[in-house]
Amino acid sequence: MKTTIVGAYPKISDEHQELRRALHKLDRDELDEAGIQSVYDDTTAWAMDEIRSAGIDIINDGQIRWDDLLAPFARAWRNTERGPLERFYDNNTYFRQPVITGPIETDGKTLVRDYAFAVATPAARGATVKAAIAGPLTFATLTAEDKQYKDLEARTLAVADALASELRGLKGAGAPLVDVEEPALAAHPELIDLEAEAIQRLAKGGVPIALHPYFFPIDGLLDKLSDFKRFPIAILGVDVRSRETSARAIERLSGLKSSVSLGIVDARNTRIETPRELGELVEAALKHVSADRLYLSTTTGLEYLPHDVAVQKLRALVEAARVTTGVRA
Amino acid sequence: MNDILLTTTVGSFGKPEYLQKARNANARGKVSDAELHELEKKATEEWIRRQEDIGLDILVDGEMYRGDMVAYFAERLDGFKIGGLVRSYGNRYYHKPVIASKISRPKPMTVEWFRYTQSLTDRPVKGMLTGPYTMLDWSYNEAYKTRRDAALALAEVVRQEAEDLERAGAKYIQIDEPAIHARPEELPIAIEAMGVVTQNLKAKTISHICYGDFAAIYPGVLKLPVDQLDLAMHNYEYRWLSLFDKDPFTKELAIGVVDVHSHRLETVDEAAEGIRKGLKYVKADRLLPHPDCGLKTRTVEESLDKCRVVVEAARKVRAEVGRPAAV
Repeated sequence: MKTTIVGAYPKISDEHQELRRALHKLDRDELDEAGIQSVYDDTTAWAMDEIRSAGIDIINDGQIRWDDLLAPFARAWRNTERGPLERFYDNNTYFRQPVITGPIETDGKTLVRDYAFAVATPAARGATVKAAIAGPLTFATLTAEDKQYKDLEARTLAVADALASELRGLKGAGAPLVDVEEPALAAHPELIDLEAEAIQRLAKGGVPIALHPYFFPIDGLLDKLSDFKRFPIAILGVDVRSRETSARAIERLSGLKSSVSLGIVDARNTRIETPRELGELVEAALKHVSADRLYLSTTTGLEYLPHDVAVQKLRALVEAARVTTGVRA
Repeated sequence: MNDILLTTTVGSFGKPEYLQKARNANARGKVSDAELHELEKKATEEWIRRQEDIGLDILVDGEMYRGDMVAYFAERLDGFKIGGLVRSYGNRYYHKPVIASKISRPKPMTVEWFRYTQSLTDRPVKGMLTGPYTMLDWSYNEAYKTRRDAALALAEVVRQEAEDLERAGAKYIQIDEPAIHARPEELPIAIEAMGVVTQNLKAKTISHICYGDFAAIYPGVLKLPVDQLDLAMHNYEYRWLSLFDKDPFTKELAIGVVDVHSHRLETVDEAAEGIRKGLKYVKADRLLPHPDCGLKTRTVEESLDKCRVVVEAARKVRAEVGRPAAV
């Protein structure tokens, strides 16, 4: 079984605070654009090295450049801006809500340069490097103000088209897989039909999709998400760990045709899972999903944790994979 | 003190530069705790004078001695440990607390500051606490089996602190729950925990709620056992008020009429218009204009300017309300 992670990695550690200092300098006009980009690159290489060194098989670039999940897109797209500050779901973490001022347009290259940088880092050697985008429903439902589209449906589909264009760009850059981070689907299960149409549009981008509806329980959605025609996804991320009731999703994995990225390590709580706890979750999942279709993962991005804990969580995840596959070091 | 449209603030103000520097130096061991404490007292007194000068009715200590509103308490409660840095947004980081074992309160945490601040002024000063649900939601829970268990354990120590504040003379006690809408399905836990905190209090109780989907917890939040809800409204273009059309608002309303996260200074007319909007739903003797949230992310000057706008706007609307109706 392969291990993977989702979302953003901590941008600083106790020892590694370069990015924080550089952004302070940028604020005070003591650093120019080239200067900050170089620190972003170095920090990305550092994060990827940590993730890879821990033994994770399918890695990402840690989203070091991303202020929040929506920021890269709201910043790069024409006729979108970053607006008011708002809390990001049930986290004490804040993001800027997008504001849409006209028709969304993109050259589809928003993430291409950063993806190319990531695959060229030393840490990427021998690993699979996946890309990531914000989910269309998440972008659309968190938009503060929309002067262009008549309703949520029109906005979601316009965002999906723009994101499909980003996926075509990523395909050109060689991305083998893209995480679509879609907490809005978990938060608004009633919007699943709209999500189906949005995902079908994303699929036209040509990069296999791993859909991650996280933060809230999705066991009630699993039946619908198993319909491949409506949800043409390669992998579904399912959190089976973070809530008192999360594990009940395991029994509903049987019907899924996609692979499963099993969220077994809680990336929003500091308690480190024991190998035994994790082993039990994996064994339970194996009764419903074959090992070749099962990836072991964190529940969300590790940036919700302090860096030292994030590193321990990576170790716990890798250890769980090692123990349950029976390979002894 | 005015008798209608009493003005107040949410709790924190910008820290003066000398205090910022001293706090940083203290963290590096270059300034002693005693020296820092003196500067915190100085800054607190300055803020009391400023609030009096501007003409605010119900004062706060400005939280010159606090950083984060959960970490301050976590550092003083047994059972918590302080975790590493976590990003809150942009380039801002904080030490997110960890509930590592059973929570208890070795001694009062805010009472001395309340006594000191109230001794500086004849106007009422609010006792300021963070609510149990928010303390839970903004910490990692390693110790309690369920979130409800943890919230109720936190409620017990907040109750002890609130009752000590009342004994020390606090007429207003604010127990903030900005995280109350984090998981709307847990609203009953927040209400139950607040019930533990306020059950024996005679002081006026207030809870500040901000930054989140207020609609998701309304009208259920009216069951929160406090006298006054203190809401960010300006930042949301007053959209929450329309919820009161269907389910009338039943508490006192402290209404946010200036944005705290913007450098832009609202005009008095803008803020006055916000107060007038609130008056459509809540009577003037139960409506308290204030800034949307704590002002700690603003400079001293910006904090002052925002407060002045609130006070001027209240004065303006007070004059209109006092005017006899046109015949």
